[in-house]
Amino acid sequence: MAEYENPEIPEGINVSPTHPLKDFALLVSGISALIIVAVLALSLLAGQLARHIPFAQERALAASLGRWLPEPPDSAVAKQRQHYLQTLTNRLAGTMALPPEMPITVHYSSSQTVNAMATLGGHIVVFQGLIDTLPSENALAMVLAHEIAHVRHRDPVVAMGRGFAVMLALSSLAGFGDGALQQWLGGVGMLPILSFSRSQEEAADSSALQAVLDLYGHVGDAAAFFEKVAERQSAAYVPTMFNTHPDVDQRIARIREFAARHAKPEQAPATPLRAFLKAA
Amino acid sequence: MVDLIFFLVLLLLGYVFGQRAEKRHFRSIIEREKQLRDILVFSERRIPDEDKLDGTLVCGSVVVSVDFFKRFVANLRNLVGGRVSAYESLLERARREAILRMKEEARRTGAKSVWNIRLETSSIYKGAQQSIGAVEVLAYGTAVKPR
Repeated sequence: MAEYENPEIPEGINVSPTHPLKDFALLVSGISALIIVAVLALSLLAGQLARHIPFAQERALAASLGRWLPEPPDSAVAKQRQHYLQTLTNRLAGTMALPPEMPITVHYSSSQTVNAMATLGGHIVVFQGLIDTLPSENALAMVLAHEIAHVRHRDPVVAMGRGFAVMLALSSLAGFGDGALQQWLGGVGMLPILSFSRSQEEAADSSALQAVLDLYGHVGDAAAFFEKVAERQSAAYVPTMFNTHPDVDQRIARIREFAARHAKPEQAPATPLRAFLKAA
Repeated sequence: MVDLIFFLVLLLLGYVFGQRAEKRHFRSIIEREKQLRDILVFSERRIPDEDKLDGTLVCGSVVVSVDFFKRFVANLRNLVGGRVSAYESLLERARREAILRMKEEARRTGAKSVWNIRLETSSIYKGAQQSIGAVEVLAYGTAVKPR
């Protein structure tokens, strides 16, 4: 067997020379970019579809979620506050041309959170912490009208549709979060995901300004809440409500511009807040 | 969140230990291949009948497990297609190790060459979800020595 020899074979001829970490990084970044684009497209589509859910269905869904809204008021003063908020809301809603099947329900919460929010089924939650920061009824009306406008524009149900699509897509893709989906359907995880986009906020602002103008004849104090927020932001404090909201300075500028356009020679003074509304 | 941390730790462990094991294995393979280079290996079925020869069956088999990191990368690769380089080095190791073990057996029988060598590859846990995959490579042939 002398005519045979066994030459040394060079290393690495059967293996791609890619570094495993480079391969990994390329795959992970490429595939996550793909997933993000797909989920984003899906969530936009779901939002468009959710807009067409009848409001009666949305109310039924909100009712089936169990105890996710604040408890009904127990003390006399809380009842009084809730009644007052509901009356003001009804007056505002009267000027906003809500469809007849779209009643707005206000819930008062004595929590110190500086926030107000609109959620599914035409429910609006107003926190005592917010009322305490407002100088007049006009400022409170602006915030309420903003939340009513969200309901009228169907923003909560759109946000729910988007959140649902994202959750469903992610859980079916990766198989993780089956528990999270159950929780979500149970409504526990509902509130944090109901965030609105910038354009939704701007649309709600302009509807709210029109409603306040129609109700009071002027929009004095409408920017008051945002001015308070701007002050606080400079003190490095950002209320939760403004995480997704347009830049506060821009909103103030837009409200002032609207006010200037609708200014009248004899401006009525702002309506003061009722004494029982402020925390002792 | 806990799931994610657990997953990342597994991935890191898989990478660190998998790469270390692979490097060490390749070093040992290259070393032993040098020692066994004088045993010639042929895929030819017919043994040239120049002398009176004795033939015995020799075989070497090896099972190599896939580490978590490689599995994850290969699963990602399944989505988009292309060369699964994570598995290429694994199978390369398995093939060379199997041939080496076969040659070691041939050396023990005193043979100078192995003829009609064949390689068989099979995956263990094939199709079983959530289990660690492993691959077996079996090399066998006829070891030949002068009578």
